Amino acid sequence: MSALAPYVFNGLTLGLLFALIALGFMLIVGVMEVINLAHGSLFALGAYLALTIIDADVLRATVFGVWWLEQPLEARYILGLTLAPVLAGLAGMVIELCLRPTYGKPALYGLLLTFGAALVVEELIRLTWGTGEKTLPVPQELGGAVLIGGLIFSKYKIFAAGFAALVIIAVWLFLERTLYGAVIKAGAHDSEMVRALGFNLARLRLMVFGLGAGLAGLAGVILVPIWGLRPHVGVDVVIPAFLIIVMGGVGSFWGAVWAALLVGLAVGISGAYAPAWAMLSMHLLLIAVVGYRARGLLGRKSILEN
Amino acid sequence: MLFEARNIHKRFGRRVVLENISLSFAGGQVHGIMGPNGAGKTTCFNVLTGLHAPDRGSIHLDGHDITGLPPQRIARMGLSRSFQIMTLFDDMLAIENVLLALPGFRERRTHIGGAVFGDKALTEAAIDVLGQVGLADRAWSKATALSYGERRGLEIAVALAAKPRILFLDEPTSGLGAEGTLRLAQLIHRLRERYTIVMIEHDMRFLFQLADRICVIHWGQVIAEGEPVELRANKWVARSVLGEVV
Amino acid sequence: MITLSDIPSRGASLLTPQIGIFLVVLATAPWWLVAIGFYQYLGIELAIWILFAMGFNLLFGYIGLHSFGHGAYLGSGAYAFGLFQKHVAVSLWGGLFAAVLAATFAGAIAATLLSHRRGIYYALMSIGIGQVFWFSAIKLHSITGGEDGLLGVPRPPLHFGVVSIDLTDNTTFYYFCAGLLALAVLFLWRLVNAPFGRVLQAIRQNETRARFLGLEVWRFKWAAFTLSAAFAGLAGGLFAMAQNSAYPDVMSLHQSGLIVMMVLIGGGLVSFWGPVLGVIAYFLARDVIGGLTETWLLWFGLLFIVAVMTRPEGIAGLMSMLPRSLGRPTASAAPLSAEAR
Repeated sequence: MSALAPYVFNGLTLGLLFALIALGFMLIVGVMEVINLAHGSLFALGAYLALTIIDADVLRATVFGVWWLEQPLEARYILGLTLAPVLAGLAGMVIELCLRPTYGKPALYGLLLTFGAALVVEELIRLTWGTGEKTLPVPQELGGAVLIGGLIFSKYKIFAAGFAALVIIAVWLFLERTLYGAVIKAGAHDSEMVRALGFNLARLRLMVFGLGAGLAGLAGVILVPIWGLRPHVGVDVVIPAFLIIVMGGVGSFWGAVWAALLVGLAVGISGAYAPAWAMLSMHLLLIAVVGYRARGLLGRKSILEN
Repeated sequence: MLFEARNIHKRFGRRVVLENISLSFAGGQVHGIMGPNGAGKTTCFNVLTGLHAPDRGSIHLDGHDITGLPPQRIARMGLSRSFQIMTLFDDMLAIENVLLALPGFRERRTHIGGAVFGDKALTEAAIDVLGQVGLADRAWSKATALSYGERRGLEIAVALAAKPRILFLDEPTSGLGAEGTLRLAQLIHRLRERYTIVMIEHDMRFLFQLADRICVIHWGQVIAEGEPVELRANKWVARSVLGEVV
Repeated sequence: MITLSDIPSRGASLLTPQIGIFLVVLATAPWWLVAIGFYQYLGIELAIWILFAMGFNLLFGYIGLHSFGHGAYLGSGAYAFGLFQKHVAVSLWGGLFAAVLAATFAGAIAATLLSHRRGIYYALMSIGIGQVFWFSAIKLHSITGGEDGLLGVPRPPLHFGVVSIDLTDNTTFYYFCAGLLALAVLFLWRLVNAPFGRVLQAIRQNETRARFLGLEVWRFKWAAFTLSAAFAGLAGGLFAMAQNSAYPDVMSLHQSGLIVMMVLIGGGLVSFWGPVLGVIAYFLARDVIGGLTETWLLWFGLLFIVAVMTRPEGIAGLMSMLPRSLGRPTASAAPLSAEAR
């Protein structure tokens, strides 16, 4: 059994990051009833933006660039970790603005639009940063391995898992304990009521998309040192996100988290038996779940059903 | 009994919507179902016509057990229904809406060689059905070009096209003004000679005028059932449909 | 907005002006393509992708099921063709038959999984299935050649009785593709103007109502998907011949997305010929705009987004509105009995 421990750990780490991705995805589905197919591209965008912030490759030649690169990696990394998601969030807001003409039309149009946005964002990434594989620099403290209970664990993965868990709790606190969070939850439930209460629905949607995109971007910054940084690194993001909200139920916070951990574990453990095929497990899981049970384990009837 | 539903029980999630409902409709009559909003009559309708399967109970059409069968099977066995708020095939012509419902057309569905209006007999049959609701001259108009009243008529025509043994109409007067309701009443009066009809309705006067038997559904149960005269005297009926009885 | 149902309800006659124009353009393509300044191979690409797109629109436009993973079936056809040449025999018709068979089989399985669903579930599951294919193509190294794919796929000669036509020349190969395309289009034209086509459209508009009319909706959904996969497979076989290779990239989400974009921009949602226009638009973007800047795909994607936002009826839809704006009466669905044609 202990032979599986590293895979279980990998799976849980992955699960926590999937949860981060899925929560952002779920907020968008909940408030706007839009499946954001661009979520993966925003994930990638976050990572690439972090790369630029940390490495300042555009500004290298300038005085600022030179000064910047002299700063300790830790500082640059922290800035990247915090600023890149914000920028990704802004990109998400732009997408929301483009989505506006499609509200009220059949769900197909929103889907197509976010699909187009995914391609556009990915293409922008390709044009700006090239198609080659890059590396996101990570502070030394987070690198290397650590020995726990006779097994070797990657320090970075521990960091990733811990950080993701913190953010998840922060999101929960935001939704449960703040006014904005309450409005978002209400908006997910009944947008008309929210409008009737005097809240600006348009601004709410903008904020929620930004938040969702930001979470995706943040997940990107954290996952990319594990997954590698390529323009299409986000292609395997939407599938688990959708799978998770189907399994966990749209609108159920902890349902999404549990489902995310399950999916992560599925991928992690299949990594023990067929490493090359591990990622496929979530696609197969999606096909199985959507094929047979599309209402979710913990959620109420989903708005996805039309 | 042409149509019988026995001990129908239906719940959605934790909410019990229909509780031990038993209904029967004799052939050749017009039956009404009424009750206040949220009473469960729409769900009842949907269960009877096969949109949802009941959790418990059985439904029989002309002796055949149709409980839990998918809608298309039930439709082919002679049950037809209209919808209150569902759209017609708006992109298409009125006659195409009816054509699609004709059993003869269904059989030709994989016929690649033929054209949509290739079979003259079918086309004429479709126009004939439209004639029954008074829309023969609007056959070649697009469904969206019809007036609201005409669309309601088309809705019924589509249901008639399959030559059903029993016709379920879901709030057919919905949205119609006084004149439209009058015309609909005349239509139902014409149709009753050929078809067994079951109607959900809010319009009490309409129902009392046309129905041979009415059942009242409230709180997910049948609280009264009988001829209109009997129901007028029933205090439970008066209570549940307060102020609406003529 | 006009819709697919505005396609003439008069008989499924093959003698329409559009078909005539299409066939003439197809037949003379090698000449005018070069005359405008393009090259022979483009004709082949256009023919293959139009074939793919027309079959795809049966699913996307007519029955309204949105598959974002259709590249998997083009790819299946391509791989099947290549593998047939490699392991069975070097044969044109054998290879194409294998391509269509493989893609149809793959499509049939996917259709069985998908046809119970619709809307968003359908779309996402189609992506998942597509990804399974793409992933498998990369990982099954020994069969598919991994990321590089199958190389050296030949173009077997075409045997016509005693005559044998060599297809390595692009112009000749183009005519072969164009011939198949023409047959496919004629077949599809008859199909969509037959009751089958009307049923597909009814299902698109209102699945539940279609059921209540007694139609076996699941079967039609299944059939539409499988048929579109078959066309994709044929296109895939031709693709393998054209490129002399088969590789995983055609099955990627990126490529599957391109066909969706082409079909929508062209006006597949409202017109039989929409996909043709969309494919042309894409290759114009690639070769004309691409000649000026490497950001051409970005512009194509932005065009797609703008189209979804403002003009989802696409090029074909816009074209149909021209007569109206020019003051001429449009072709309305006039009462025509079948015998009029």
